[in-house]
Amino acid sequence: MDNSTKAFTNRRNLLQGGAALSGAAVIAAGLSPRAAMAQEAGQSRLQQVIDRGKLIVGTGATNPPWHYEDADGQLIGMDIDMAKFLARGLFQLTDEQLANREEWSQRLEFVVEASDARIPNLVADKIDIVCQFMTVNPLRAQQVEFTIPYYREAATLLLPADSPYTGTADITGHGASISALENPDTVVMVQTGVPDAEVTSFDSPANAVLALDSGRAEAAVSDLSTAQYLTKQSPEKYKVGIDSWWPQTYAFAVKPDDQRWLNWVNTALHELLVGVDYAYYQDAFLQHFGVELPPPAAGFPVEYK
Amino acid sequence: MFGLNWDSLWRHREEFLSGLALGLKLALIGLALACVIGLLVAFARTSRHQWLRIPAASYVEFIRNIPLLLILFFLYFGVPMWAFSVLPRGLADILVLDGENTTIVALAIYGGAYLAEVFRAGILGVGRAFIEAGRSLGLSGLQIARYVTLPIMVRTVLPSLGNTFISLFKDTSLAMAIAVPELTFVTRKFVTDTFQFIQAWTVAGVLYLVTTYALAALLRFLERRIRWTV
Repeated sequence: MDNSTKAFTNRRNLLQGGAALSGAAVIAAGLSPRAAMAQEAGQSRLQQVIDRGKLIVGTGATNPPWHYEDADGQLIGMDIDMAKFLARGLFQLTDEQLANREEWSQRLEFVVEASDARIPNLVADKIDIVCQFMTVNPLRAQQVEFTIPYYREAATLLLPADSPYTGTADITGHGASISALENPDTVVMVQTGVPDAEVTSFDSPANAVLALDSGRAEAAVSDLSTAQYLTKQSPEKYKVGIDSWWPQTYAFAVKPDDQRWLNWVNTALHELLVGVDYAYYQDAFLQHFGVELPPPAAGFPVEYK
Repeated sequence: MFGLNWDSLWRHREEFLSGLALGLKLALIGLALACVIGLLVAFARTSRHQWLRIPAASYVEFIRNIPLLLILFFLYFGVPMWAFSVLPRGLADILVLDGENTTIVALAIYGGAYLAEVFRAGILGVGRAFIEAGRSLGLSGLQIARYVTLPIMVRTVLPSLGNTFISLFKDTSLAMAIAVPELTFVTRKFVTDTFQFIQAWTVAGVLYLVTTYALAALLRFLERRIRWTV
């Protein structure tokens, strides 16, 4: 750990001391009957959420490492940790509270939804925010407002651990059989990375990986995060290709026309990605993707580079 | 029509029709193999010998009580996993079939179990008098099976055979899960690409319906022809 990271951690602990105090104040406020009253029109969702004392997050339950159920049927994953981070910022939860499901679940409620329910639930005020690996695109941005990104997804090769190939450069030219999930443009997507690939597309990501396991495919094309997750789970079975392509941005989404709420989430996210809460993101990233991120360089803000 | 866009479906008509043709081909070859398996198993189940009856009955009970999709997955994903790790490469390459042949084998194994019961009922339905007549003519057990039981049985089991064929044809839709481009696979792919699910599934449904109806009519025609000759 270098000095800049140490300073980081110290400042974080310092802040949490103050946070505990103000957290107590908010909890006390949350107990008052006012919190349960109907929301005033025109009030920012930020205030509504604080008054309600609980953040309601739309997410999924079937997509590791983003949002899925552990052995006890409890939601875990990167999106779940991101939602917990928002709840921490809103209600000044301590690390102890965040580590205890009983505690934080009083401040954070998940609405499990299918991917195609993300926008409708948001628009119908059933949820405050979507944390469900939502890909940003201009069409969706007309219906919801996206926050700043929290992950850049891409396609990569998932290879057997003993594969002679390392990435798109050396697998190209062999007419390799490659399995992938059926999507619009699956073949175009795969062949953007491996032009001479023979593509077999399956109806679920699991079957695409099974084709790799059974030796039917020499490589599977999957999301980078999925490939990293699988490789972290079974390093003796898989390795991740050294390169990736076909980028897409993941961001949270909020209901349009609430600048205050959007700004708050963006500010919190920004500090998560490059600021005071970076260690939280780094921990989550390591836990879910098995990759240790370097801390952002100090001095000139990295986001403008 | 119905304010829906049918143009893109029309442009993809060849994929839909070739998916339908592939499904029919798989069902037909699968049925032919299933008939062979079914006949052998049915005769084994009605045999005097226990060492034939027990394996035959086990096969029928085991296969009839698991879903076809499971057989498909086992053959498509499980067999290569085992073959590539245990067997020499050359032998494994022979055993590991592609998606279409896997489907044919799965349909044959699955349909075979059902047809074995159909044929068994047919065999048991052949009157004792016919068997005894054969025996009094001095025919061997195998000859009785070939010249007496089989011809009579075929007429009685034809309707059930037709049902099984139609079932197997519809079951080819499961091959979608192992990436065989039959009609359901083509339809799902089209839906994924265009989101025109109402049009696409309607067309697929109509194609299945028309085809199975035509098959049923053909089979009824055959039944009538054969009944005349009894």
